[in-house]
Amino acid sequence: MAVEKTKSILVVGGGISGITTAVEAAEVGYEVTLIEKNPYLGGRVNQLNKYFPKLCPPNCGLEINFRRIKNNPRVKFYTMAEVEKISGTEGDFDVTIRLEPRFVNENCTACNACVEACLIERPNEFNFGMDKTKAIYLPHDFSFPLRYVIDEKYCTKEKCNKCVEVCTYNAIDLNMKPQSLSLKVGSIVWATGWNPYDATKIDNLGFGTYQNVITNMMMERLASQNGPTKGKILRPSDGKEPSRIAFVQCAGSRDENHLPYCSYVCCLASMKQATYIREQYPEAEIFVFYIDIRAPARAERVYMKALKDEKIKFIKGKVAKIEEDPTTRDLTVTAEDALTLQKIHEKADMVVLATGMAPITRESKIPAGVSYDTDGFILLNTGVAGMYAAGCSLKPIDVYSSVQTATAAALKAIQSASGGVRR
Amino acid sequence: MAEQVISPDLGFVKDVIASGGESLKKCFQCATCSVVCNLAPDDKPFPRKEMIYAQWGLKDRLISNPDVWLCHQCSDCTAYCPRGAKPGEVLGAVRKLAIEHYSFPSFLGKAVGKPQFLVLLFAIPVVVLFIVLALLGNLNLTAIPRGEDGGIVYAKFMPEIYIEVIYIAVSAFVVFSFVMGIRRYWKDMSVDKKGQILAAGSILGTIASIIGEILAHKRFEKCELTKERKISHFLVFYSFIGLAITAAWGVFYLYVLHRESPYPLTDPMKWLGNAGALGLLIGITLVVIYRSRNKEKAGIGSYFDWLLIVVIAAIAVTGMAAQCLRLAEVAVLAYPVYFLHLVFVFFLFAYAPYSKMAHMVYRTVAMVFTKHAEKGVEIVTKAG
Repeated sequence: MAVEKTKSILVVGGGISGITTAVEAAEVGYEVTLIEKNPYLGGRVNQLNKYFPKLCPPNCGLEINFRRIKNNPRVKFYTMAEVEKISGTEGDFDVTIRLEPRFVNENCTACNACVEACLIERPNEFNFGMDKTKAIYLPHDFSFPLRYVIDEKYCTKEKCNKCVEVCTYNAIDLNMKPQSLSLKVGSIVWATGWNPYDATKIDNLGFGTYQNVITNMMMERLASQNGPTKGKILRPSDGKEPSRIAFVQCAGSRDENHLPYCSYVCCLASMKQATYIREQYPEAEIFVFYIDIRAPARAERVYMKALKDEKIKFIKGKVAKIEEDPTTRDLTVTAEDALTLQKIHEKADMVVLATGMAPITRESKIPAGVSYDTDGFILLNTGVAGMYAAGCSLKPIDVYSSVQTATAAALKAIQSASGGVRR
Repeated sequence: MAEQVISPDLGFVKDVIASGGESLKKCFQCATCSVVCNLAPDDKPFPRKEMIYAQWGLKDRLISNPDVWLCHQCSDCTAYCPRGAKPGEVLGAVRKLAIEHYSFPSFLGKAVGKPQFLVLLFAIPVVVLFIVLALLGNLNLTAIPRGEDGGIVYAKFMPEIYIEVIYIAVSAFVVFSFVMGIRRYWKDMSVDKKGQILAAGSILGTIASIIGEILAHKRFEKCELTKERKISHFLVFYSFIGLAITAAWGVFYLYVLHRESPYPLTDPMKWLGNAGALGLLIGITLVVIYRSRNKEKAGIGSYFDWLLIVVIAAIAVTGMAAQCLRLAEVAVLAYPVYFLHLVFVFFLFAYAPYSKMAHMVYRTVAMVFTKHAEKGVEIVTKAG
């Protein structure tokens, strides 16, 4: 080797893709630093009730990965961390990481005494605002690391001090300050992931105005055991059990006014969610309004099964209008059935918008000169030697495909970091 | 399902694209348009089906389709279209082709829709009016006799009787042309409805209710993105009515009361005329302002749209200017401007069956037919 290279790798984003890249690289002997913006690892997968291909709950895929991280001394991970600055070149990057204060240290045993003492509430963004947590909270039941966190925006700190008083483990430190961390790495993998498209921007579908219009990710939370309704699907306005549910496919997708592309997973996600409803409410009527159903590869089977289900009605026509009865909060969705040439007005207790995936990099670019496509996804060839991308920062894909891109990124990152055989 | 043979008319597809429907092929049939359209009925709503008919070149399903005219181009469809396929503009192009298709004689229909014939079309009134002026010996503008008070009198430049003969002849031709067009259009629509129309009751009642609706501009109220269009169209529409009354009033003065023009500005007829001209000017200016303001979401419109807008604006401007120049006694400008005014009025009238002006006839007929046919369908179902 001509030049001594730093044999370490930085992975940005601790979702399923970032975790996969980190453990894959670490398990073949590389030093990996994994950073995550949220106070927990696992990313969006945590928020799902079940996920494809096996329709297992998130812990079935994440738990083993968390175990791999815990058992491997080569993986260091930081939550509430973001990249601030990068300089250098492939094999020799200098990275500055900013660590936001958690206000809770390693002493935390998750005993919950602080939460019981805390008087301040905040909307729970993990459940898309459908319930509240205290200002000190555990992000979710399955949080890794299993440690509480204080939301600085809501906590009044020393003025209140109640949590500090009840904590018998000295785990709460209200004076924690943001920290800076400098790293030398050979390569960087961006696994920055996605946000659900902001449905309030779709002004004809009433999201944000009509309480019973929810997004598909909110439906995942409603169906989850650790969700706001403990897994019982109830409509938000009055907690009623829904008997007629409409799914609006391509809500803000394949639409030049919103996300111009197809997010690939939403058709299948709606069919999956139809099964959640069918399990809880066998008599419920389900309507799926679509432009065309995109059920790639093995998903075809799921679609065929849904087609045979007499309680699931597929209507070829995009919903472009939703109205609410202000007294009952019931909804009427309107679409043109392109097969019968009739405008139909279907009543529904609840409407699920199948919103797509917007890459995080659509809104906020990463502090490096990587290239993006017109939709804000990072290009597979990032344009910067030693930098790679994985998962939904590349394109909208499912968990299974994300893991494939993550493994690929791990291999490329190893080659950059080792300065050895490559490409 | 019964087998259907689709025979696309590729020339028609090209015509739609050339007439302002260039976005046609972007449509992927999601049907957002039919839902956001407040004018589309629940039964067979438009414009989604029209978009696929147009993509497939199904000319016969579009040309005689009254739905094409029930569209008032609110452009809510265009604003919400996820693909930028601009259904509003495409239907505008189809309407243009429908006017062309039913026009009589058809060569005029083709000529009005194409920019390369514009000069020729203007040349006709210019030449006709020029010949009249030459025969009257009025080409030397300084030699044209003045009125008793020394003021400019347009009647001495171009006596009313010549204008009347020319414009009455033109009007007769226009009416004939429209009648021919409507007959063919109505026949085609009836064939599509398979004779159900025959079951309907009195057509006069339907016509009266549709005219009432048009006078009140009810359908424009349903537009969302372009709701202010109700104001501009309302102004232009009623200004034209006011100006038509003014013209009739003038004829009454001249031939019944034997009062010669020009009439003083204090005359109620002049009040109405000037109010009409001002209304027309404001209305057409608003049309231009609203179109420009909404061009991102609604599209800017086609040559066919703008030809009518420009001609109407030119009539208003030259009309007002002719009056002002006459009163200011700027003879060297007054006569040419008045001449231009006559040319633009000729253009609007003579080419009405072929220009976008024909929308007032075809849209009315389509609205009457639809309402009438609905009744027909109702009677048939009840009887069955």
